[in-house]
Amino acid sequence: MNPPAFIPPVVKSSGGHSTSQPVHASGQAMPPPQSEILRITFFAGMAEAVGRRHLDMQWAGGSVEQLRAMLAAECPAIGPLLARSAVALAGIYASDKTAVPAGSDVAIIPPVSGG
Amino acid sequence: MGIPRSKTDDFNLYRRRDGGDHESLLVREPIDTQRVLAAVADDAAGANVLFVGTARGITDGVLTSGLEYEAHESMAADNLIKLRAEAVSRFSLAACAVVHRLGKIAVGEASIAIAVSGPHRHAAWRAAEWLMEQIKKETPIWKCEYRPDGGREWSHPGDMPVGCAAEEHEP
Repeated sequence: MNPPAFIPPVVKSSGGHSTSQPVHASGQAMPPPQSEILRITFFAGMAEAVGRRHLDMQWAGGSVEQLRAMLAAECPAIGPLLARSAVALAGIYASDKTAVPAGSDVAIIPPVSGG
Repeated sequence: MGIPRSKTDDFNLYRRRDGGDHESLLVREPIDTQRVLAAVADDAAGANVLFVGTARGITDGVLTSGLEYEAHESMAADNLIKLRAEAVSRFSLAACAVVHRLGKIAVGEASIAIAVSGPHRHAAWRAAEWLMEQIKKETPIWKCEYRPDGGREWSHPGDMPVGCAAEEHEP
């Protein structure tokens, strides 16, 4: 693998990566949460490309789609694999429209190869 | 000689203590495949199938010196438990056990063992095959292949894991 790509430990979440308003699973619009830490966990080739297992980011709230856009912008090297990866919040798969509350435990799940 | 049965809970690492259910496990030590098979022994079973996946040393002419597996362990365990229950229901099994190895393994060692038992062989064969296919498509476990020259590569074939929300929302 290539040398690990650098990702700043703090990334701003504003900047309009997506115009869609995050919604809760109930369908209600989510109020903007306080800026807090978001811990993102990477696995396998994704962790190797990022150069670390965990990434703690400042996060003022947003959707999975916005989180994807931010990660891809900050670390272009993982973009192609990120596009084929699922996102899980606290161990549950989330769709792109799902809101990511500040303080969430986020896991990036690339295509699997067990067995 | 029949399939050895566990006489105590301690003897059998792969059988849960409650209700005759059978635990799926992620393990870091070598898999005792005979214990996995013993875990599904059941008076209602006339067919017992054990599948053992092993680390292959050569693939299409390319040498592999070893493998390494890692997992999102809580999600993988949840998924294996779900698949095991679905297999029991779908194929009317008497019992089912799945064990996947994590960490580095040598060529020839078992990476996964699947054991199923049921009244008849056709369903048991199909259940083991179905389980293996589902695990390869949806369980969040990843394989890294080590080459003799010291290189290594994580395997990320295809698309998002089957069953993830994004995948379900695709047309």
